[in-house]
Amino acid sequence: MSDPLIQLRGVTKVYRRDQFEIPVLEGIDLDIAEGEFVALMGPSGSGKSTLLNLMAGVDSPTSGRIVVAGSDIAQLGEGELAPWRHRNVGFIFQFYNLIPVLTARENVELPLKLASLSRQDRRLKVETALELVGLADRMDHYPKQLSGGQKQRVAIARALVTAPTFLLADEPTGDLDAASASDVLDLLGQLNQEFQKTTVMVTHDPRAAERARVLYHLEKGQLQREHTGAV
Amino acid sequence: MFQLSLKNLLRNKRRTFLTGASVSLTLILVCLLGAVLTAMESAEGSADNRIVVRSAISLTFSLPESYWQRLQQMDHVLAVTPLNWFGGIYKDERPENFFAQFSCDPQTLLDVWPEYQIPQDQVATWRQERNSFICGQALADKYGWKIGDQIFIKGSIYPVDLTLTLRGIYTEPNAPSAEKSIYFHRKYLEEALGNPGQVGTFFLRIDSPDNVGTVVQHAEAMFENSEAQVRAETEKAFSLSFLEMLGNIRMFLGAIGAAIVVSLLFITANTMAMAARERTSEVAVLKTLGFRQGHVVRLVMFESLAVGLGGALVGLGLAYVLVRGAARGMENVFPIFGTLAVTPPVALLALGLGILIGLVSGGFPAWQAARLSIVDGLRKLA
Repeated sequence: MSDPLIQLRGVTKVYRRDQFEIPVLEGIDLDIAEGEFVALMGPSGSGKSTLLNLMAGVDSPTSGRIVVAGSDIAQLGEGELAPWRHRNVGFIFQFYNLIPVLTARENVELPLKLASLSRQDRRLKVETALELVGLADRMDHYPKQLSGGQKQRVAIARALVTAPTFLLADEPTGDLDAASASDVLDLLGQLNQEFQKTTVMVTHDPRAAERARVLYHLEKGQLQREHTGAV
Repeated sequence: MFQLSLKNLLRNKRRTFLTGASVSLTLILVCLLGAVLTAMESAEGSADNRIVVRSAISLTFSLPESYWQRLQQMDHVLAVTPLNWFGGIYKDERPENFFAQFSCDPQTLLDVWPEYQIPQDQVATWRQERNSFICGQALADKYGWKIGDQIFIKGSIYPVDLTLTLRGIYTEPNAPSAEKSIYFHRKYLEEALGNPGQVGTFFLRIDSPDNVGTVVQHAEAMFENSEAQVRAETEKAFSLSFLEMLGNIRMFLGAIGAAIVVSLLFITANTMAMAARERTSEVAVLKTLGFRQGHVVRLVMFESLAVGLGGALVGLGLAYVLVRGAARGMENVFPIFGTLAVTPPVALLALGLGILIGLVSGGFPAWQAARLSIVDGLRKLA
């Protein structure tokens, strides 16, 4: 059996607020195989987003190892983590986090500015990504000119455009109506199935969680595998 | 990256405009102050071999005409000429019709100002005709005066009116402001006033600038026990003394300039910090996408530098126009300011201040953005 793409071993995370220590994650072990679609559920404050941030390399564990595609990212400094994130992580936020002064095209192009690509190559990649999420006719629209579902699809195109190793989605349907949420989940499912894009999604919504093949439940710092779904 | 910075600048157009305008306004003031200080420095600093002797009490007090001969007998003195400020009204009292009018001794005036270039035949005619005058080329051009023209000047300090005939036009290529005066016969005025035998100022030409200090000391000492004590000083120090009546102008202007720049620095820094703070979550998103600390610093610094430098360039352009206007407007009253200009050092100072304002005001927000934890930045979204 091949090594998992993402492997967490004994990961703990403790936040310090003044003199208080608040344990959030306690000795988490987790393996995620390449091409997997994983949902993380749990009550508010259970540490779902913290676990996602640790996998994304935007936060560091108090102890434990986080190995992604062979690299122990817990050992990397910020100077190394930034390019690592650029190469490996496609992050999708609950509130889209598009830059309001940039068009959909410019928002998607943003991470490509860090790569050594010609303007023509960047343009081609951006247009491909936006076509993939069904927004070929909205490329020059600003975020305020788009609906919530369309904004989230632009955000997904931005996460995809660098061809990252895996996608991390933090409540991607949390700010959407039911129809838009369904569209976004369809899109994430399609990316996982057709392009074998490894995806880890945090959600409160049981209907969203059903789209994943593997569901984990996180509560009081402990992780439990609930069931293996069928997509 | 720079595209994002530019778009961020346009995100809140009013704030960007007001911040840039405050930088421009400040640097306009800095340029104006710098131009004034430069004009004063250049007037005072240049070598001079002309001395002015006047009443030690005040310019409004006159000296006896008998001092003329005693001053001529001093060592190192090549020539002495008396000069009285007439201060009459030509045409009307509008400032644009104001120019310097002096009663003088035609026989010695050009010995003290040998740099005035005037045809000898015109000098000869002027010296012979008691009611004639000479003027500078710039003044003749301004009013369209030609040799033989008559002008009428109404006295405002002295209770006499003058009708004068133009008999000579001089040029002074090295001091254009000197071409905006007229000189007429002292005897013509004296007779009209009943021959009081009083002189406002004596101008002395010294054999060498090295001897100026000695002559100044001797002139003041010579009349120390007289009924009318004198003050002797270089011609340029004399010009500056009009301004020094207002106090220590240079220190005053310098302090104002420094206070303005420092105040603006705080205002701009606060505005830039506010703009950066509003985008904390965006900085966190950029970092999540893989942007490094250096990228974020450049993003913030480019914005603040664009405001600082843009404001400085606009300010410089406006200052150039204003200073030219001020020079034209003030040269009649204070000829020393006829040379007012935004000199290259002043322009460089303004540009440097614009860059400094940009660097300092952007520095702290950039440092904060670089240090921002992604998790903290994203948390502000929730």
